[in-house]
Amino acid sequence: MRGQLCLVKGWLSAGEGWLAGPERSRGRMDEDVLTTLKILIIGESGVGKSSLLLRFTDDTFDPELAATIGVDFKVKTISVDGNKAKLAIWDTAGQERFRTLTPSYYRGAQGVILVYDVTRRDTFVKLDNWLNELETYCTRNDIVNMLVGNKIDKENREVDRNEGLKFARKHSMLFIEASAKTCDGVQCAFEELVEKIIQTPGLWESENQNKGVKLSHREEGHGGGACGGYCSVL
Amino acid sequence: MAADSEPESEVFEITDFTTASEWERFISKVEEVLNDWKLIGNSLGKPLEKGVFTSGTWEEKSDEISFADFKFSVTHHYLVQESTDKEGKDEVLEDVIPQAMQDLLCMNNDFPPRAHCLVRWYGLREFVVIAPAANSDAVLSESKCNLLLSSVSIALGNTGCQVPLFVQIHHKWRRMYVGECQGPGVRTDFEMVHLRKVPNQYTHLSGLLDIFKSKIGCPLTPLPPVSIAIRFTYVLQDWQQYFWPQQPPDIDALVGGEVGGLEFGKLPFGACEDPISELHLATTWPHLTEGIIVDNDVYSDLDPIQAPHWSVRVRKADNPQCLLGDFVTEFFKICRRKESTDEILGRSTFEEEGREIADITHALSKLTEPAPVPIHKLSVSNMVHTAKKKIRKHRGVEESPLNNDVLNTILLFLFPDAASEKPLDGTSSTDNNNPPSESEEYNLYNQFKSAPSDSLTYKLALCLCMINLYHGGLKGVAHLWQEFVLEMRFRWENNFLIPGLASGPPDLRCCLLHQKLQMLNCCIERKKARDEGRKTNTSDNVTNTYPGDAGKAGDQLGPDNLKDTDKEKGEVGKSWDSWSDSEEEFFECLSDTEELKGNGQEGGKKGGPKEMANLKPEGRLIQHGKLTLLHNGEPLYIPVTQEPAPMTEDLLEEQSEVLAKLGTSAEGAHLRARMQSACLLSDMESFKAANPGCFLEDFVRWYSPRDYIEEETIDEKGNMVLKGELSARMKIPSNMWVEAWETAKPIPARRQRRLFDDTREAEKVLHYLAVQKPADLARHLLPCVIHAAVLKVKEEESLENISSVKKIIKQMISHSSKVLHFPNPEDKKLEEIIHQITNVEAIIARARSLKAKFGTERCEQEEEKEDLERFVSCLLEQPEVLVIGAGRGHAGRIIHKLFVNAQRLTESSDEAAAMAPAEEELKRTGSPEERRQNSVSDFPPPAGRELILRSTVPRPAPYSRALPQRMYSVLTREDFRLAGAFSSDTSFF
Repeated sequence: MRGQLCLVKGWLSAGEGWLAGPERSRGRMDEDVLTTLKILIIGESGVGKSSLLLRFTDDTFDPELAATIGVDFKVKTISVDGNKAKLAIWDTAGQERFRTLTPSYYRGAQGVILVYDVTRRDTFVKLDNWLNELETYCTRNDIVNMLVGNKIDKENREVDRNEGLKFARKHSMLFIEASAKTCDGVQCAFEELVEKIIQTPGLWESENQNKGVKLSHREEGHGGGACGGYCSVL
Repeated sequence: MAADSEPESEVFEITDFTTASEWERFISKVEEVLNDWKLIGNSLGKPLEKGVFTSGTWEEKSDEISFADFKFSVTHHYLVQESTDKEGKDEVLEDVIPQAMQDLLCMNNDFPPRAHCLVRWYGLREFVVIAPAANSDAVLSESKCNLLLSSVSIALGNTGCQVPLFVQIHHKWRRMYVGECQGPGVRTDFEMVHLRKVPNQYTHLSGLLDIFKSKIGCPLTPLPPVSIAIRFTYVLQDWQQYFWPQQPPDIDALVGGEVGGLEFGKLPFGACEDPISELHLATTWPHLTEGIIVDNDVYSDLDPIQAPHWSVRVRKADNPQCLLGDFVTEFFKICRRKESTDEILGRSTFEEEGREIADITHALSKLTEPAPVPIHKLSVSNMVHTAKKKIRKHRGVEESPLNNDVLNTILLFLFPDAASEKPLDGTSSTDNNNPPSESEEYNLYNQFKSAPSDSLTYKLALCLCMINLYHGGLKGVAHLWQEFVLEMRFRWENNFLIPGLASGPPDLRCCLLHQKLQMLNCCIERKKARDEGRKTNTSDNVTNTYPGDAGKAGDQLGPDNLKDTDKEKGEVGKSWDSWSDSEEEFFECLSDTEELKGNGQEGGKKGGPKEMANLKPEGRLIQHGKLTLLHNGEPLYIPVTQEPAPMTEDLLEEQSEVLAKLGTSAEGAHLRARMQSACLLSDMESFKAANPGCFLEDFVRWYSPRDYIEEETIDEKGNMVLKGELSARMKIPSNMWVEAWETAKPIPARRQRRLFDDTREAEKVLHYLAVQKPADLARHLLPCVIHAAVLKVKEEESLENISSVKKIIKQMISHSSKVLHFPNPEDKKLEEIIHQITNVEAIIARARSLKAKFGTERCEQEEEKEDLERFVSCLLEQPEVLVIGAGRGHAGRIIHKLFVNAQRLTESSDEAAAMAPAEEELKRTGSPEERRQNSVSDFPPPAGRELILRSTVPRPAPYSRALPQRMYSVLTREDFRLAGAFSSDTSFF
């Protein structure tokens, strides 16, 4: 399962060289959740967004899953590299008309899963629109994006894996192909996304932990013993 | 010493410290530290290059040791050097004198601009200082001083360390050091004299030479030549009134927004006082020999103009008062005020609001009644008038915080449409629809979460800032805010769009206040559309209009309404209806709705598409491609639909919280879908109305085309037939889509229940605005103010082109965007940002001050101008700048002139002082002797005189080795110091 995952890591600008894991107290690690992450699933209607989510949260597959109205919401706590993260996952409706509602949910999301159906080229072609939308409505620019090509269990594939890969590379996304039905790649997709988010400094920390760049107050400190000639005398 | 017992065996080494005294222990600790730092032995570096003390990096290492219970800190100061001296270390350099002694004679780094005082006095590149650890502690008694010095001497001797070791004695501020440096057979003693009062014979070169010689006590005749370096420093202070053009802003000019003064929306900039307080000119004679010049108590050859080297440094005023910095800082202070608007204005404003407003609107509607009179002109003045009246009513004779002129100017600035002659309509807002410039600068609001720089919110922030600083402070702020809220209500009730806001739903990238205003505009827009629709409908039967209609909105204000809303949120969906409005408000007026509504309901009751097909289609937008209805082949129309409700971020948060609270169970998910299906239902109803007799399949083909699956099949006759059906998920029995479809009645959007209750939302926004305290307001708008300040700083910098400032601004923007993106940034972080802004402002002000002083603009020759500009920018960035050509260069001549002007000024004030013999005056202008000496000179008496005397002389006996001797002296008005380093031969004496 891991082997299927293709991380286009080199193109991800965020998190490079940031190797240190998040700080936490060891003793409380098990019962305590490191952080709550907001994740959004978007994509054309009928590509299997809700199915992917259902597979991830409940590990089931329901061929008769009603079309989502508006947004739906699920929670799951997962552990990645020993870090527990609570995921609040917002599943959105893909229909054009509902789309006017969903941009508001982009707010504050740390990760976005963009899904297409490998058996329907049109769902792949529309990805550009979705990315535009993301760019317009996301309130932050360091958000982690993941591209998921769903329904790889089906015979009539229309979108080649390499096309998906190319698209993800072009837009600095994580990429994986998956099947909600056979369970391929689903768990892995979510885990990688979370790992990436946790590795991105400043993305997940709460505001009081925010470790921004500290600007020094003075560019020229008069160091301890140094004195400019007899400046103290004049 | 016990610690140095010889190792008797390789394995066991017993060292007995039991009998060691405190003193011994102290010495061994010093030795330990010297060993730890590897300062043992001679490590000769390269000869010092010119200026390396300034350009190189100095580092220091510290440790703490104690003598009994008295704590000392040991610090090793050293110039970082490329370590090429490893090889040199291996050779046994027996005859070479220590590095420090050699450096005593090096002339490449005399008078470094910034260095440790010991470096300045002795020209050392490396030394160790032992000083009392606590700042207040001091070694005062002579015996203690001697004890320390002995310890140093012993430690150096024991370890073979050749780095000079100093101890600091007396109070710290006196900077008294004594020390020692030991080498093979040689020793240098570092001694010092520090006096308040200068003995007269030591104020000149000849007197100092005498001391030097007597100190050396040279047995040889003639004495080897003494080399001399001299630096005189002159201070220029008296230039403020002549060269500092910046005036504090003229407040009077502000009234009425007259041209020339500060205008609203423009930020003040610059320092109020000269940010450059002093100019120090150092004139240096780097290499003189005894006998070349004469300098004694009656005559001196040392004329500063003739000095071969000139260098200049400027002293920056500490925290100069800066206009922009104050502007932002003062605004930030409001954030900490706790008073509400009412408390500040001294009355309960919003209690009576409803009544007052009702009065006004009533009056207005009376005005509109007979004929649609254009009332746009009333907008501002009317509100000002009523507000004034109210204030007078409630606060008696007291003046309102903002006077009428100022208030009118501001309101005109914020609402330019109020003054325009053309009637207010949609165009007024599109006029202000920001020219969407894609520039990075324009999009800064995105990073700061503020508002576009041409928006009402941004302008409001600037006005509040201005008022806070120049017009009535906090009270003024509260007053303007109240006026602003009144204006908002006026616009809502009279369907005037708010100018200066981008149309469309609230922009979540902006600050919440901006979103709220945008929300209000959305409400106004919808209400206006509705009212206009109603007007056209009822134009033929005028009698139907109710005069009190306009007041309706006002009546709905109040907590009751808000409570309703909350209740609705609480009880989660039972019927389809509960998710749209509870209030019976429709898009069209009731009169003609009723008949049509009956029509629709009838159809609903009968059910079945066949009957409905007989209905007249309504609310069609456009035909949907070539699609036709499945059962009768009629073209499929896309209906006119209701727009989704605009949301501000707090509403959104609230909503998603409610949705999330439903949990992840199946029931929860179902409820959630229900709650959000109002829009779907509304669309279905519109669709049904536009396409009488349609099926769910028809709807799905428009709404969710991928859920209609078409397959090519071959029928009995062998023809290709396209057969379609709903997707499996749409066919699930009683799924929500089917359920909704069955419930939906054919009602066009304009007669449906409103999905977005603009009346309620507008009232919510207005209430929200009304309850904002000035502190809340300041917090809302601070990002806008910071945004504006950054833009201003950027703009000013671009005029001066200072590269260092460019870099700081860039850092500042990225830092601010990080801080401001979080909902409640910490005060400390905000202060940091504001501090940065002030800092940059001061740097720019300094650059301007210097440019003005040196007259870079007035310079005519291109080449000279360039040189001068370079010189000025160096002054800003470097501690000390060499004047090319000294007194004869271009910059030198300007500096000379500055001094001459200042001297004339002092002379005239001296005369004044002479006439009024006030003692203080006399003190200020210096001793009579000094005045006498320099009354004719272009320069004032030097503020500091430094001299370095050097020689290589055998000491103590004529047959001893010739060793470096050095004495540094500095003389200022109230401080005299001699720092001598005298070396002697310890083998042959």
